[in-house]
Amino acid sequence: MGTVRRKMNPWFKKILYGILVIGLLGAAATWYIFSEKFSDTSETKTDFTINALDLIHEFEKNDSLANKKYAEKMIVVNGMVSEIEAADTTVNIKMVDTTSGAYVIFAFQQQHREEAKKIKQGDKVSIKGSCSGGAYSRILETEYITFKRCALNK
Amino acid sequence: MKKTILFIALVAATGAMFAQKKTTTSGSINFDATTSLDQLPKAENKTVIAAIDPKKGTLAFEVIMKNFTFGNPRIQEHFNGPKWLDSEKFPTATFSGNITNPTAVNFSKDGTYDAEVAGDLTIHGVTKQVKTTGKIVVNGKVVSVNAEFSIKLEDYSVDGPQIGAGKIAKEPKITVAADMQ
Repeated sequence: MGTVRRKMNPWFKKILYGILVIGLLGAAATWYIFSEKFSDTSETKTDFTINALDLIHEFEKNDSLANKKYAEKMIVVNGMVSEIEAADTTVNIKMVDTTSGAYVIFAFQQQHREEAKKIKQGDKVSIKGSCSGGAYSRILETEYITFKRCALNK
Repeated sequence: MKKTILFIALVAATGAMFAQKKTTTSGSINFDATTSLDQLPKAENKTVIAAIDPKKGTLAFEVIMKNFTFGNPRIQEHFNGPKWLDSEKFPTATFSGNITNPTAVNFSKDGTYDAEVAGDLTIHGVTKQVKTTGKIVVNGKVVSVNAEFSIKLEDYSVDGPQIGAGKIAKEPKITVAADMQ
């Protein structure tokens, strides 16, 4: 007994292929988005270069304006290290305005944490990182600005 | 006479030590909202301001939301975006509370103590009363606080399609650690 093969409508075939291609493209885009990682800070484009005290003064003057200008921007900050503070298994670098107590603090990117540990109090350094903005601390009664994913700017 | 002066000096010194509020600007908070469907929504923030006042038994934290670091840029964007924590509008999260079992913690003696803490936690502009237990470690001049607790995102008016779809935990785990001196 012979079998009867029904011929597929060519349009139906095209639609099926189309759905398959769209599905594959969607899966590839999702995979790309969710496997994406932040670039190494030392290889990213710098948006601003500024002296630590000037940055602090700008936030102290008007932090909502300064937040609009600097938040989520890649900034190179030049200044003298006032303090090195232990932060879990790593260290944060702080630059403090001694007249007001306001400060800027840098948390380093995973691959740059060893560089941070070599920095000493009083060192003049240039640090590049993503600015997370500033706020007024009710606890310390001063302005503070935080940075993430930092690296020594060489 | 000398002994009396020494005793007074000691009492004064101890009093001064207690009166001093201990702080750090490098406390850490880890946020873990991972689920079996998605391992990406977790972040750390290592620039947390924390303060403890041994005399009053008060404890406080402040954190800039945008300084939570995620491994994945897209998740970080969602976290700070208007549908999630809206960090543009609500740039900080704060906690202000008290140790509710102060007699269980001896700040003048090195050791590890089980502390009960209650206070106001403000996230996304919403303030809720929270209670948790944690460890307080006294080591010389340093007082360390470690606590782990969960929050219900819906309590803080945080919702979104990803939460409904089970990609983000409805009750993320928060781990707090701070060494204050």
